[in-house]
Amino acid sequence: MSKKVQRKKAKGKSGLIMLSVVGCMYLLTFYFNPQAGKEALLVVLETIKMIAPILLVVFFLMALLNTFIDSKSISRHIGEQSGMRGWIIALVGGVLSHGPAYVWYPMLSDLRKHGARDGLVVAFFYTRSIKLPWLPLMISYFGLAFTVVLTVLVILSAWIQGMIVDKFTALAEE
Amino acid sequence: MKPVFIRLKTAAKNTLGTLMMVMPMLLSVIGLMGLFKTLVTPEMIQSVFQGSVLSDTLIGTGVGAISVGQPFLSYAIGGELLDEGVSLYAVTAFILSFVTLGLIQLPLEWSLFGTRFTLLRNILSFIFALLISLATVSILGLIQ
Repeated sequence: MSKKVQRKKAKGKSGLIMLSVVGCMYLLTFYFNPQAGKEALLVVLETIKMIAPILLVVFFLMALLNTFIDSKSISRHIGEQSGMRGWIIALVGGVLSHGPAYVWYPMLSDLRKHGARDGLVVAFFYTRSIKLPWLPLMISYFGLAFTVVLTVLVILSAWIQGMIVDKFTALAEE
Repeated sequence: MKPVFIRLKTAAKNTLGTLMMVMPMLLSVIGLMGLFKTLVTPEMIQSVFQGSVLSDTLIGTGVGAISVGQPFLSYAIGGELLDEGVSLYAVTAFILSFVTLGLIQLPLEWSLFGTRFTLLRNILSFIFALLISLATVSILGLIQ
């Protein structure tokens, strides 16, 4: 059995173990506090309802990516040779991406396997903390100056973190 | 090269396989979030802050890392904390780590990206939550 297949099997197994543990936690919650168990289950259903459309978009993006974009062009746009273009794609992509981060994990992991740079993935993750639809609410709570300063610093530090990760990756590969 | 339809079908099949493999871990994360949101109330989060700027900033980062929910929840809790006299350093660190760190999502991140990437990304996010909160409040102090 190849290492890749072994790794895939191990990942699937750890997911099932984790799901069993969470299932047990729900059983315990239902046993000790049925009302809390019901509420938690409702939160789960609402979350699934919320992420289902985004997951569908991610699924189509991944399928299109695997069909039309080869490793060479991924490398050109967000890989080793991507330069400034890669940074812009990662930083803007992070700001514009919608929904919880974990929904994007499978696609980002796929891109990484096809040659996307770790630094750009990290930068994408960090700029996701800028939530465009929630900015007006942030302004109403903390003021315009706070929101502008924080947003600029987040973008700047996403870039710095990306560069640090790229340096670490280069060192690890040497 | 194979026709586009065949390539698309193969890619869709592979993608579905990847998503199915991730699904148990994804459901576990969502399950943990459900329990956290139900059992941990905003009042419980507010009660852990102590009044010291340095320790509150560290606590803010830590509490943000284990909290889950929509970003507006972190703003609402952050607003309450400010009203109760918690420093802006701590509140900034809290709302930042709320969205950049995710203890509950760690198993999923680890299973997809590996140990080195997950560790490095989370350690950097933790350090930068502290640095950004310091820089934000300092810059605000200068311009206001």
